[in-house]
Amino acid sequence: MKNISPVVELIDVSKRFGKITAVGNVNFSLSKGAVLTILGPSGCGKTTLLRMIAGFESPTTGKIRINGKPVQAVPPYRRSIGMVFQNLALFPHMTAGENIAYPLKMRRFPPQDIPELVERYLGIVRLTGMEDRRIHQLSGGQQQRVAIARALSFNPDLLLLDEPLSALDKKLREEMQLEFRRIQQKIGVTTINVTHDQREALVMSDEIIVMADGVIQQSADPVSLYRQPSNKFVASFIGLTSLMKGTVDQIEGTTVKFNVNTTSLWGQTSSKFHIGESVEGAIRAEQVRVHTEQTRPVGMDNVLDGVVEEQIFEGDRMVYQIRCPALDSAPIFVFDHDPAHNVLHRRGDRVVLSWNIRDLLVYPD
Amino acid sequence: MSGSRSKATVLWAIVWFDLILLSLPTIIIFGASFTTGDIVQFPPEGFSLKWYSKLWLLDDFKAAFFRTFYVSLICTAVSIPAGTLAAIALSRYRIRFYTGLQVYLLLPFTIPLVVSGLGMMIFFGEIRILGQLWPVGIGLCIINLPFMIWAVSASVNGLDDQLENAAANCGAPPLQAFLTVTLPGVMPGVITGALLMFILAFNEFLVSLFLTDARIVTLPVSIYNSIRSVITPDLAAVSAVYIIIAFIAVLLLDKLVGLELFLKSK
Ligand SMILES: Nc1ncnc2c1ncn2[C@@H]1O[C@H](COP(=O)(O)OP(=O)(O)OP(=O)(O)O)[C@@H](O)[C@H]1O
Ligand SMILES: [Mg+2]
Repeated sequence: MKNISPVVELIDVSKRFGKITAVGNVNFSLSKGAVLTILGPSGCGKTTLLRMIAGFESPTTGKIRINGKPVQAVPPYRRSIGMVFQNLALFPHMTAGENIAYPLKMRRFPPQDIPELVERYLGIVRLTGMEDRRIHQLSGGQQQRVAIARALSFNPDLLLLDEPLSALDKKLREEMQLEFRRIQQKIGVTTINVTHDQREALVMSDEIIVMADGVIQQSADPVSLYRQPSNKFVASFIGLTSLMKGTVDQIEGTTVKFNVNTTSLWGQTSSKFHIGESVEGAIRAEQVRVHTEQTRPVGMDNVLDGVVEEQIFEGDRMVYQIRCPALDSAPIFVFDHDPAHNVLHRRGDRVVLSWNIRDLLVYPD
Repeated sequence: MSGSRSKATVLWAIVWFDLILLSLPTIIIFGASFTTGDIVQFPPEGFSLKWYSKLWLLDDFKAAFFRTFYVSLICTAVSIPAGTLAAIALSRYRIRFYTGLQVYLLLPFTIPLVVSGLGMMIFFGEIRILGQLWPVGIGLCIINLPFMIWAVSASVNGLDDQLENAAANCGAPPLQAFLTVTLPGVMPGVITGALLMFILAFNEFLVSLFLTDARIVTLPVSIYNSIRSVITPDLAAVSAVYIIIAFIAVLLLDKLVGLELFLKSK
């Protein structure tokens, strides 16, 4: 059997617009059937990356291979890639059915097969019976589905999604995320999804690439990414994370003691530090425990006094924002996942915070 | 409550005043064309279609009418591809000398019609096409092209600029993408512009005056010539024909594009 090459492969791909480096030295490859999400803040180069893969832009340096073949010289209309655009870009003068049939016609599918395929993909995106509707006669979520069906109907090797869900309201967006996962699993198409919504990335993907300023920060599966963020940016971008700056005081293997003003904190690191180096500790909101003065933990490291600055009730959880005088930097965020039973702390209450050494991740500043 | 009512009353009064003022000449001419008398007067003396039938018998007017129709058709036919492509290119593609090109295409607006008329007369004379009818259509197309470009530009600007990429992504080569996606998208603008060009060419006087001679006068020129001698109700009838043609154009626009869309200039 022949060696199976990845569906997409990017080798040292960079894109510069004048002085701006939109994408810098990106490397990744994606095997058949996998779902990759590129996650990053606005302007970090996600769209530029997708446009290069689709063929609307060519890389300034580096190579893109699709199914093992270099594609520099292949125009977009000869690439077997379906794309759902950020603003959908459905053809307004065509019906839903005509939109889905368009790629089939352009790619010279036998005319007698087209109606059947349109019918089938309408069924997959659950729009059966709506093929004669004009685009403006469909709701936002339905238009979304037409766009997905149009991108899938010709059975592309690769599906690109450029934040197609960002325009929808939260509830519909979450519904569409699950819907998309269902469709993806049914069809098994290799997919690259772009988003700045961390929840969407975690829900939809087999693998996540976090980007900042055009550069890949980390590439991992959702669980590892959440558990072991490889740098400060990733740690603070995913989950609700509090940061604290300090200087290294003591190192014991992977355990580091660092001082914030006069307070000492213990944390875990995978980096090599030297005494006196400035570092930043990161703690996730769900790892911090809140106590009162009566239940203050004794004989533990990482115990801090604080005052409740804000409490945000989200129904299934309570989010506390707590100001610790010992840390003059940003507040610490804490989740209480059982607000129905636990003691509630009000604004202005004095509380005591604690967390485990292994949950405080220490990064170079 | 009463404040908003009196505001509405004032607004309506202004609207009606404007409407009447604007349509008064039209109503007068339209009415006068039905007179049974021999002079243009309003209210008309009696009611008859005699001036219309007389118009039909006036071979000069009839020939001028058909010539004007022919000239307007040529003007429209030339302006559709020229104006559409220019408008799409101007607002879609990053063109070198963009501003220069834009100024050049809109230039006819800034030049007094007398100057363009004279210029074209000399130029057409030089290349020996003066005295034929079709160059008049070309000339009218040149001076009115900015209207076409504006009408189509409004449509192009309303079009999603990712549509062509979407078409390419669906497997359409550039020409196919243009024909199947871009062109249908700007159709409302093209139709609007084409009707506008037709009406403008049908009404154009000054430039036609330069480019026509006694054998090939167009209707506006022919009307002008007869005013100089004597004003008879047949002129009112001709004017009424104009009004009817403009009215038909508006009806067509409504049928083809939807007046609502046109007024929102999409
Ligand atoms: N055609 C262009 N010319 C110049 N600069 C560009 C061009 N396209 C993108 N850029 C720049 O490249 C950077 C990356 O842009 P890109 O659109 O890829 O960001 P993004 O990650 O998709 O952001 P968003 O989440 O807001 O869509 C930005 O700084 C942007 O200003
Ligand atoms: Mg983007």
